[in-house]
Amino acid sequence: MEPRVGVFVCHCGTNIAGVVDVARVAEAARTWANVVHAEDYKFMCSDPGQAMVKQAILRHKIDRVVVAACSPRMHEATFRKACAEAGLNPYLFEMANIREHCSWVHEDKQAATLKAIDIVRMAVAKARLLEPLETRSVKVEPKALVVGGGVAGIQAALNLANAGIKVVMVERQQSIGGRMAQLDKTFPTLDCSACILTPKMVQVAQHPNVTLYTCAEVEEVSGYVGNFDVTIRRKATYVDPDVCTACGICLEKCPKKTTSEFEEGLTTRKAVYRLFPQAVPGKPVVDRESCTYFVNGKCKVCERFCEPKAFRWDDTDKVVHERVGAILVATGYDLYDASALGQWGYGRFPDVITGIEFERLNNATGPTGGRILKKDGTEPKSVAILHCVGSRDRNYKEYCSRVCCMYSLKFAHLLREKTAATVWNFYIDMRCFGKGYEEFYNRLLHEGVKFVRGKAAYVTDQPANDDEKGRLVVSAEATTLGEVLRVPVDMVILASAVTPQPDAPAVARRFGMSLSPDGFFMEKHPKLEPFSTATDGVYLAGACQGPKDIPDAVAHGAAAASTAMALISRGEVEVEAATAQVTEGACSGCKVCQDICPYAAIGFDGPKKVATINPSLCKGCGTCVATCPSSAIVGRHFTDQQVLAQISALFAG
Amino acid sequence: MSDRFEPVIAVLCCNWCTYAGADLAGTARMKYAPNVRLLRVMCSGRIDPAFVLRAFAEGADGVLIAGCHPGDCHYINGNLKTMRRFPQLKTMLAQFGIEPARVRLEWISASEGDVFVKVANEMTGQVRALGPLNWKVRAAVEPVSGLAEHHAG
Amino acid sequence: MSTYAVPMLEVPDLIKESGGDTLDLCYQCGTCSGTCPWNVVRDFRVRNIITRAQVGLEGYEGEDLWLCATCNACVDRCPRGVEIVDLVRTIRMIIGESGSLPKTLRAVMGSVQSNGNPWSGDPAARTAWLKDAPVPRFDGSQDAAYFTCCSQAYDARNARVGRATLAVLKAAGVDLGLLEGEKCCGDAVRKAGGESLFQGLAATNVGVMNGLGVKKVVVPSPHCLSTFSKEYPALGGRWDVQHVVQVLADRVKAGKLAMTKQVAGTAIYHDPCYLGRHTGVYDAPREVLGAVPGLKLLEFARNREDAVCCGGGGGRLWMETPVEERFAVGRLREAVARGADTVVTACPYCISMFEDAKTALGMDSMRIADVTEIVADAVEG
Repeated sequence: MEPRVGVFVCHCGTNIAGVVDVARVAEAARTWANVVHAEDYKFMCSDPGQAMVKQAILRHKIDRVVVAACSPRMHEATFRKACAEAGLNPYLFEMANIREHCSWVHEDKQAATLKAIDIVRMAVAKARLLEPLETRSVKVEPKALVVGGGVAGIQAALNLANAGIKVVMVERQQSIGGRMAQLDKTFPTLDCSACILTPKMVQVAQHPNVTLYTCAEVEEVSGYVGNFDVTIRRKATYVDPDVCTACGICLEKCPKKTTSEFEEGLTTRKAVYRLFPQAVPGKPVVDRESCTYFVNGKCKVCERFCEPKAFRWDDTDKVVHERVGAILVATGYDLYDASALGQWGYGRFPDVITGIEFERLNNATGPTGGRILKKDGTEPKSVAILHCVGSRDRNYKEYCSRVCCMYSLKFAHLLREKTAATVWNFYIDMRCFGKGYEEFYNRLLHEGVKFVRGKAAYVTDQPANDDEKGRLVVSAEATTLGEVLRVPVDMVILASAVTPQPDAPAVARRFGMSLSPDGFFMEKHPKLEPFSTATDGVYLAGACQGPKDIPDAVAHGAAAASTAMALISRGEVEVEAATAQVTEGACSGCKVCQDICPYAAIGFDGPKKVATINPSLCKGCGTCVATCPSSAIVGRHFTDQQVLAQISALFAG
Repeated sequence: MSDRFEPVIAVLCCNWCTYAGADLAGTARMKYAPNVRLLRVMCSGRIDPAFVLRAFAEGADGVLIAGCHPGDCHYINGNLKTMRRFPQLKTMLAQFGIEPARVRLEWISASEGDVFVKVANEMTGQVRALGPLNWKVRAAVEPVSGLAEHHAG
Repeated sequence: MSTYAVPMLEVPDLIKESGGDTLDLCYQCGTCSGTCPWNVVRDFRVRNIITRAQVGLEGYEGEDLWLCATCNACVDRCPRGVEIVDLVRTIRMIIGESGSLPKTLRAVMGSVQSNGNPWSGDPAARTAWLKDAPVPRFDGSQDAAYFTCCSQAYDARNARVGRATLAVLKAAGVDLGLLEGEKCCGDAVRKAGGESLFQGLAATNVGVMNGLGVKKVVVPSPHCLSTFSKEYPALGGRWDVQHVVQVLADRVKAGKLAMTKQVAGTAIYHDPCYLGRHTGVYDAPREVLGAVPGLKLLEFARNREDAVCCGGGGGRLWMETPVEERFAVGRLREAVARGADTVVTACPYCISMFEDAKTALGMDSMRIADVTEIVADAVEG
C-alpha cells in the first residue's frame, strides 16, 4: 500500500513565518508524491496544533506525519506522542527543522523559503520509507548517583533519600560541604554559612539511604538511562575510619606542615589532616604527597599517639562498582586564577587578595581567627573591592559571574562592621536581582560605603604623591563624573570570576554531556530544562551548569532530584527503538562489526555464523551499519534507503 | 538574487554535536549562507561514504561531514571511525576528479554555533569559487554495496 | 536657552560608517580612561569621548581629542572589544574634515600633502641621507627592500640611527636594497585623522613597491610595520613585512651576526607601542640586546604589554606637550632611578621623544639609543 503523508508547516508565530513563506511551503508539499494533506498553522506545538495532526491522521487516513517547525531536539517527542494518541506508531513521524536551521539564520526571504521547501521535501522522502518500530521498556534501578558534595549535591541527595531512594554520593575531597563550607557569612541574610550548612552535611552523611564515598571519584560510566554502571575509585586514606574515633591527637602530633588548600594557602595544615573543623565525615586522612613517612620512609609519629590504632600504612585505592538508575552531576565551580590577572596586582602585592581568601580571613576558624588583617598583621584603614575581575570581559570570561556584586556588598558590610576602614566598591553595574538583594544594597548605602561607578583599571604601588607612598593605588574612572580617580588603599579584594572546574571537559566526556560556550555543562534546554542534559538519566545540579548563588544552587539541586525521582518512581523507561539489526542472509560472518561496536552489543551466533545484536545494549549510533562490508546491518530509523532518499530529495527541487 | 552561482552543500552530521551546534547558531540568531542543507544521522560514524557519493551524483557542489570532537563522541568513539574513513573517501573522490575543497570533515560541538556558521560560510565561498560540479557518473556509484571495500574499518 | 543636550544620531552613524564600527560595543565601564597614561599627568577621559559619540553629543571635538597618542593600552584592556584607537582616528577624521585641525597638525599635514613627508623636507632629498650608503638601490634582485622612514630621511638624530641600521644589516649579511620614490607610510597621518591623505600615500607606496616587485620589506619604524602589515593589505600592498629588530633577531639566532666587541653600560629597554601592543613584537629586541657582549639589560616596572607610551604616536610627535606632562620624561626618570645609563628602543618617534625629554631634564650623561646603534657598537669594523 502506498504511504499517505501529511505535512504540517508551523508559523511559530513570526519566528518562521516572518522569514519563510509557510503557505508556499505547504503548497509545494501538496504537489509531491504520496502527500495527501498539507496545511500550515500558527503554532503546531500548541494543543490545537496537535489536535490538527490527530484529526488529519483520522480524517485523511494519514500514515506518515511530517511537521516542519523547530528542531527535533525541541519537539520531536511532542509530535511523536500526538501521533501515538491518534493510533499511529510514533516512529512514523519525521520532523523538518525550518526554524533553527532556516528562518532564524537567514535573512533573504526568497532563499529561506526555497531552503525550507528543500528541507521539508527531504523529510517527506524519508517519511515515505519510515517503518513502525516497537519501543521497549527496561526496569529502572531504584538508586541515584550524586557526584559532588557541595550544597547543590547535598540538597539533591537529601531530597532523593527522603523520598526513599537509595543514593550513592561521591565527593573528591575528604569532606562534603564544597565551596559553601569555605564561606563565612551568606548574603543577604548574613547567616553563618557553616551554621546552616553543617546540619545538612551531617544529615546527608547519616541518612540511612545514603552511601557516602569521600576521597573518591567516578572513573567510568557505562550503560544507559535506568541502568548505569558506575566505577568509583576510593583513594587510600591510610586511616581506618571504622576504627578511628576522630579524637584529633594525630592532628596535633604530626610534625609535618603543608599549605592548606581549604584556607586558600593563607595558612598551613598537617600532613594528616581534617579539611576543616566541621568536616563530614570527620575522620582525618593522610596526605601521601606531604607525609614524611611516605616521602622519607620514616616518621609515623601520629601512629605512636593513636590509641585505637587506626593507621593503615598499607591502605590502597579501592574500586567500587555501583548500578544506578540516574546520575546527578553536582561538581561545582572554580575561581579564575587571579595571578593571571596582572593589572590588578594579585601575586605582586601581598595585600591584593581574592574574595575567597577574604572569606577565610573573616572566618572564626580561619587563619586570623576571623580578624581582617593585612599581611603585616595590622588592620587596613582603607579597602577597595573590585567588581567584575575577569567577568564580563572578552579578555577573560564574557559572562557575568552573578554572585560577585552581592558578595562584594557582603564584604563591604563585614569590613564596616569589623574595622574602621573606609570601604570602596568599584563596579560597572550593580546586579542585585534576588530576594532581599536590592534591600541589602540599600542597607550598605546607609552604612557609608563608597561606591564608584567605574571598573578599576589597575592597581599599582608606584606613588604619584606622598599620600600614596607605601600604599596600593587603585586607578578607575568614576564614569558618572567623568573623572579618573586614584584611590590609595591598604587592601584590595578582587571579586574574581566564577569559572568551570578545570576538569569539566573530561567530566563531561565521562558522563556523556556537552559543554556550553562558557565551559559549564550544557543543559537540555536553557529555560525549561536547565537541570537535564542531552543524555537521558543524567541531570545537573548547581554551579556546574553556570554560576549560581546558594538559593539558586539549592533550588537547582532539588529540581534535578525531583526529575530523577520521576524517572525512578516510574520504575521503567522506554529505551532506544532505533537500534541496528542484522539481516542474517546477507551477513558473511566477518565480525568486523564486533570490534567496531563501542557498546559490545554485537555477539556472534556460532552455528549460524552470523552476527547478532543485543537490542538492550545497542544505542543506535549506526557505526556498524556504515562499516559492514556486506551491507548486512540495518540501522533502523536511519536506513540506507531512507538516508539516500533524503539525499536524492534534496536535489529533486 | 543575482546571477551569482549558488552552490548547494549537503551537510551530513551527527545529532548530538553538529546538529545541536547548528541549532545553537539558530537560537543565537547568527546568520550564514543559505546554501547548506543538513541531513541528520545519530552519529557521524553512521555516515556511509556512499551517502557522500550519492550527494555528489545527485548534484551537490560540496559535502560537509561533521561530528563531535574526537574524545567527545556521544557514542564513545563513532567519530573516530569517521576520521579513519575520511582520508580514503578523499582519495576516492580525487580519483573521480572531485576537487578536495568540495568535501570537508569538521568537528563542531554543540556549543560551537559560531564555528558552524564560520564553516558554512567558508565552505560556501570556497565551493562557489570552484563553480558547479555537474558530476555525471551516477551510474558508477549506484550500487551501494559496490563501495564496500572503501568503508571497511 | 534650553539646557537639554540633544542627541544627533547622524554622528554615531557617520562614525560607524567611517571605520569606527565598534562604537556601540562600549558599556561605559571606564577601563579605558583608567588605563590611559595621560591620567597620571593630566586629565583625559577617552570614555567620555566615546559615550558622547555614541549619542552624538557635542564636546568630543575639543582639544582633548588630539591628546590620544594611540598607544593601544586601552584597546588591549577593553572588556568589550571596542577599537578605541580606530574610534579616535575616525572622529578626528570627521572633525579634521570640518576644518578644526589643531594648528601644528595642519602644518604637518600640509607638508605630507606637498612633500610626501611630515618634516617639511624636500622630496628630492629623501635619499640624500645615504649618499654613501653601504647597500645598493633596490632593483628586484635583492631578497628584501628597505623602506626609509621619513624620520631617518629628514631628522638628523634619526638619520644617524638609519646609518647604523644599514651598517648592521650589512654586517649581518642581509641581502637588501633601498627603495626610491616612496612617501611617508602614513600611519601617524591616518591616526591624526588624515584619512584621504593616508589613502593617497598608501596608493603611491603600493604603486612604487609593487612596481619594483617587492616581496619582502624591512622597516626601521614600528609605525611602518603596523600600517604595512595591518592596513596596506586591504589596499593592495601584500608584502612580508619585518621590523629591523626582527631581522636581526633571526640573524642572531642563526649565528649570522657576530657581535664581538664589549659594550659597557647598563641599558633599559623601552617597548615602542607600535612594536609591542600594536604588532606583538616583544622578544626580538630583547633577544638582540641579550646577545650584545657586556651589556647589562634592565626592564621598566611596566614593560612589554603593560609598557607606558613615549607620547609620540598618533600625531603627538608634532604637538607641544608641557615638560611635566611628557610620558618620556617620566620614563626617563624611572630609567635613572633604576640605574640605567642608556635608554634603548626601536622606534624613531621614541628616539625623538626621549632625546627631547633628555634635553628638557638636562640629563646629559644619559644615552638614548636605537637597538641598531647598540648592535653597531658591538660589531667589528
